[in-house]
Amino acid sequence: MRDLERRYRHLLRAYPAGYRQARGAEIVGTYLDLAGPDRRWPSILEVADVVAGGGRERLRAAGAADLIPGVRLAGLLSYLTATALAGFWATAEVVTTSGVWGSPAFGPFATTGIVIWAGWLLAAVAYAVGPARWVRAAIGLALLLTAAVVPVAALFELPRPYLFVLLPQATLGVLALAGPSRTARRQRLVPLAIALAAALIAVGVLSGESAWFYRFSYGGAFLPEAGAALLLTAVLAATVLSLRGDARGLWALLVLLTPIGLLALYPLTENIAPVVGAGYADFRVITGTTAATFVLGGVTLAAALAIRARSSAAADTPASPVHQRCPTCGR
Amino acid sequence: MDTPLREPTFWILTALAGPPLHGYGIIRAVAALSGGRLAMRPGTLYGALDRLVDAGLIEADREEVVDGRLRRYYHLSATGNATLAAETERLRRNVEAATARLGNLTPAARPVAPRPAGGLA
Repeated sequence: MRDLERRYRHLLRAYPAGYRQARGAEIVGTYLDLAGPDRRWPSILEVADVVAGGGRERLRAAGAADLIPGVRLAGLLSYLTATALAGFWATAEVVTTSGVWGSPAFGPFATTGIVIWAGWLLAAVAYAVGPARWVRAAIGLALLLTAAVVPVAALFELPRPYLFVLLPQATLGVLALAGPSRTARRQRLVPLAIALAAALIAVGVLSGESAWFYRFSYGGAFLPEAGAALLLTAVLAATVLSLRGDARGLWALLVLLTPIGLLALYPLTENIAPVVGAGYADFRVITGTTAATFVLGGVTLAAALAIRARSSAAADTPASPVHQRCPTCGR
Repeated sequence: MDTPLREPTFWILTALAGPPLHGYGIIRAVAALSGGRLAMRPGTLYGALDRLVDAGLIEADREEVVDGRLRRYYHLSATGNATLAAETERLRRNVEAATARLGNLTPAARPVAPRPAGGLA
């Protein structure tokens, strides 16, 4: 057996054992047909293809093939939320003032956060004018800036947005990578329109406020409202789609529970602190609540998958004719 | 059929409208038929083939081993043939309607150059 064939077979462990036994030789044969004679290693794209195909097949075997379109829907809603927040905070960077006592600033802006928000707004522009790969690249860049601002600000002693803001933004951003795809031209302007609307709200709410307020009080002031809006939107989408026999809205809602929980992190920690015997929401309470949010979100999704697998084993009947769905994603 | 076929489904069925093809043959045929726009990879293709077999639109034809590689051939079923024919007819009507509307435009009103794909929305 050639090295390349052995490596393809090794990769095929991403598929369920039964499927591998039935179709493995055929799939490996096709990969070998596509590979040049001198190839010894699968390409990165092939590895991603096998892993994605194996994941899809495992979900299909568990009766949860609609989880993937559900994640895409969650990604789109996450992207819109992240863009709205970027419009809001970018405006806050500009319209808040140093106040009577003065506060550290980043040039004409309140904090280094302006770089992050500009990155997210750039992604909205890419969504409006460019192909899907531009959008993903722009979201990747915005995510990188969101993560990098913490060490950079610490290194150069610059003001940065609160972690209460950065953490949900990064989580929404990771989900957003799964979201935006090619849509009708008018729909491509939606993220920019939402960012503009959020910016106008920020002008009304934050104009003249101190940058101290912007930097230290907003975690409890606006993010829970954004989380509530996202939750309501997700519930509405899940209800409407469920009435049409489409479960992807429910999966999207389950996936979004984690970022929604993170958007509500500030009030959550304030309420949890007395329960765990802490005088206030200190670092221990905040990190514990953050970890619990991630764990609870993951456990809820895993439990839903297990329930779905059990019920689909009992009665495996597709909700809609298979040929009406996209064969690549099942939607 | 209530809804239009999605593009990958359409091209796979179109590829199988001729003689039976194995996985590699389908990938090559889809790439050629779509003018190189749709480059399917095996992980994507076999998920699609499973769905189409489940839906009764295609069927496994025969198997053979070439250079030690298993090749399973697929062909369009009667249901798949009818589905593809109905979709083709729907697309033909769309094209005719669009062609007729474009034909009604005066030369002055007709765009001089095609708009680039992915341009400003």
